[in-house]
Amino acid sequence: MASDSMFSLRNGGRNAGSCCLIADDPYAHSSQSEQDGRYFGEAAYVPMIEPSTAQEAFDMVKWAFEVSEKHRTLVIMRTTTRVNHQRGMVSLGNLNRTPFKRKRWADVKGQYFTVGAIARRLKAELLEKTQAIRDEFEDTDFNFVEEGDGDLGVLTGGVCYLHTKEAMQNLGINIPVFKLGTIYPLPEEKIANFLKSLKTLIVVEELTPYLETRITAIAKEVNSSLRIIGKKSGHFPEMLEYNVPIVETAIADVLSTVPSTDYGAILERAARLKEILPERPPIFCPGCPHRGTLWAFRQALQQLRIRNEIVFNNDIGCYSMAFLPPNEFSDSMLAMGASVGISAGMEMALEDRVIAMVGDSTLYHAALPGIVNLIHHNSNVTLFVLDNSVTAMTGQQFNPNSPFNAGGQPARKINMEKMFEALGAEKIVVIDPYETRDCIGPIKEAIQSDGFSVIISRRDCALYGDRQKKKRGERIIPSENDKETCREIFACVREFYCPAIIVDESDHKMLIQQDLCDGCLECRQVCPVDAPRSTEVER
Amino acid sequence: MKDNETYNIMFCGVGGQGLMLLSAILGKAAVDAGLEVRTGEQHGLSQRQGSIYVHFRIGKPLSPLIPYGRADMVIAMEASEVLRYIEYLKEDGVVIMSNRIMPPVSETEQIALDKQKQTKYITVEQIIERIREVTYRIVTLDSLELAIEAGNPRTENSVLIGATVACEDFPILAEDVRKALLGLVPKKTAEANSKAFDLGMEASTDCLGTS
Ligand SMILES: Cc1ncc(C[n+]2csc(CCOP(=O)(O)OP(=O)(O)O)c2C)c(N)n1
Repeated sequence: MASDSMFSLRNGGRNAGSCCLIADDPYAHSSQSEQDGRYFGEAAYVPMIEPSTAQEAFDMVKWAFEVSEKHRTLVIMRTTTRVNHQRGMVSLGNLNRTPFKRKRWADVKGQYFTVGAIARRLKAELLEKTQAIRDEFEDTDFNFVEEGDGDLGVLTGGVCYLHTKEAMQNLGINIPVFKLGTIYPLPEEKIANFLKSLKTLIVVEELTPYLETRITAIAKEVNSSLRIIGKKSGHFPEMLEYNVPIVETAIADVLSTVPSTDYGAILERAARLKEILPERPPIFCPGCPHRGTLWAFRQALQQLRIRNEIVFNNDIGCYSMAFLPPNEFSDSMLAMGASVGISAGMEMALEDRVIAMVGDSTLYHAALPGIVNLIHHNSNVTLFVLDNSVTAMTGQQFNPNSPFNAGGQPARKINMEKMFEALGAEKIVVIDPYETRDCIGPIKEAIQSDGFSVIISRRDCALYGDRQKKKRGERIIPSENDKETCREIFACVREFYCPAIIVDESDHKMLIQQDLCDGCLECRQVCPVDAPRSTEVER
Repeated sequence: MKDNETYNIMFCGVGGQGLMLLSAILGKAAVDAGLEVRTGEQHGLSQRQGSIYVHFRIGKPLSPLIPYGRADMVIAMEASEVLRYIEYLKEDGVVIMSNRIMPPVSETEQIALDKQKQTKYITVEQIIERIREVTYRIVTLDSLELAIEAGNPRTENSVLIGATVACEDFPILAEDVRKALLGLVPKKTAEANSKAFDLGMEASTDCLGTS
């Protein structure tokens, strides 16, 4: 998404340094796909560097700005999950900040209009620049060799360097290691020198064989008989993330020895011990308004008997979890704002009723052009906007739906209803998911109406709301199940999936865990006999 | 602690329990004691009620992830989560766990829907029986009860930390850890947290036995 701008911005760094941080997520811990961002450096002629530790990340950012200012280029720092979500000690050294000062455009004007002849001139400049950077990267201390014994060596970078060092320690070996800090341009001469002294090289890198391919090309010139161990040799997978056992096992295999520990046996035993363990998938928090919205939506579909005649295009946010039980919706969930674009196409091609869902952050960040397109084409699409005041999933950041900007300064909150009105939406309804039962009627109406309809479901994110309550000195009052009234229907369990709700094994009735309950009473709305009630006791 | 040794702790629990604070406190204690620290954490999808963990390594850590079978200690704020990360625990390592079980909704559903009322929740006893295939050094704490006894139910963290430092091979002095703890919790809860720390320490000493 950002790559088109990046290809033009590579000429940046004229008036101040510019560094861009990208993060790949091997194993797709919290991503829609495993991606390898390393190719962007080469494709755009933008220098790319990669740290292993927190300290190195700090040092590299400082260096990145130096390179950026000196060569007037964007610099990309590439990271992976295990570098980003790592905590470690960082020594800051001297930090010299240049005070911020506004400038006059005429004094700093660069070439931001890149087309035709200008683009060609800039490309020629870029090639020269890249050569200068390549020379500099040959000499930087961020690419270094750790001497060792024998003619077997390792080339690696990023978090894999750390896994490799620990694997070597476990195996009690000291083989030469090339630690690569610059992914693009590669220090080809330095690498060539390293390869000359080796018979076998192990390349340790996650995801695609980016380095392996390029190292193979260098080896062809300087040491054509070099045996290269990596993904092509079958020692390392091209997917998922690595750890010490994976790297240790591969190195041990090359050395015809065994790892320090029988990791396989440990994993087998663990798998057996875990057999009794229920899974713990992510779930909406207690008090989450999304739970109520989705419940009411399901009831509406059931009452209209159209559960199998709809397509539900989901988007990016906490509500993505609608794909999990008890909802098990979501026919698509691809990228920020994609739900509305996909809906436009589907509405033209399918017989089914098309429904899309976005959160407030996704709405303003990426869905507006798609919505304009839907309205412009008079598409019969219903859009749910889950207005929970903040960008919940990523940590309750503010967005244009908040009266504060990203820095926490006062800002203007966009008026959502007025905006949809001005765009020409046929129908705009606002529901409160805590009045869960009352939501069913308006949802049914909106789904059945012609043209573009919007259902705005409005209620603060429970975590954010609780924080606000605390600030105002208000308490959270948990709910309890009135066991006299409870008839063990368990709609609260089957249809609602609130983690505060469990079964009391002594009487087989529903029990609300007081310390987890948020007191939203959505579960009372779901209960056919109104058994849950407020304790009216402060927690 | 010897020069090139690393002490590994696997923290685990359920999103919302305050695991990050727990690891921040021990992290500060380690740094104050002049030890190096490296952690590997999980964020994001497990906002609340998902399974979460922190790989916590003190001494001469290299990788941010503990290799299987190398955790000297597992500290669990929720009992069943010990089993979820059991591959990390070394033979005869120490387990410090709360006896609280937070059943996932899928488990509750099975129990609710069983008209015969035969299906039961997994119990702490079942979990301990399985952990015993790896270690007998298990400290089970009613951390909530002890926290309430200390005067504040929100001090469960401190109970677990107290229990941790009572373990003889834990490489940081108890009083250094207490200092770090009191430096990170709100001032007005200092007394309750310090008491919770003591209660955790006592309970753990009873379990492990002093030697
Ligand atoms: C394709 C993609 N882009 C970005 C992200 C990171 N991300 C996760 S949730 C989110 C925004 C969620 O905000 P909102 O739509 O308001 O939903 P909420 O979480 O508040 O329900 C973002 C940007 C992602 N997971 N995938």
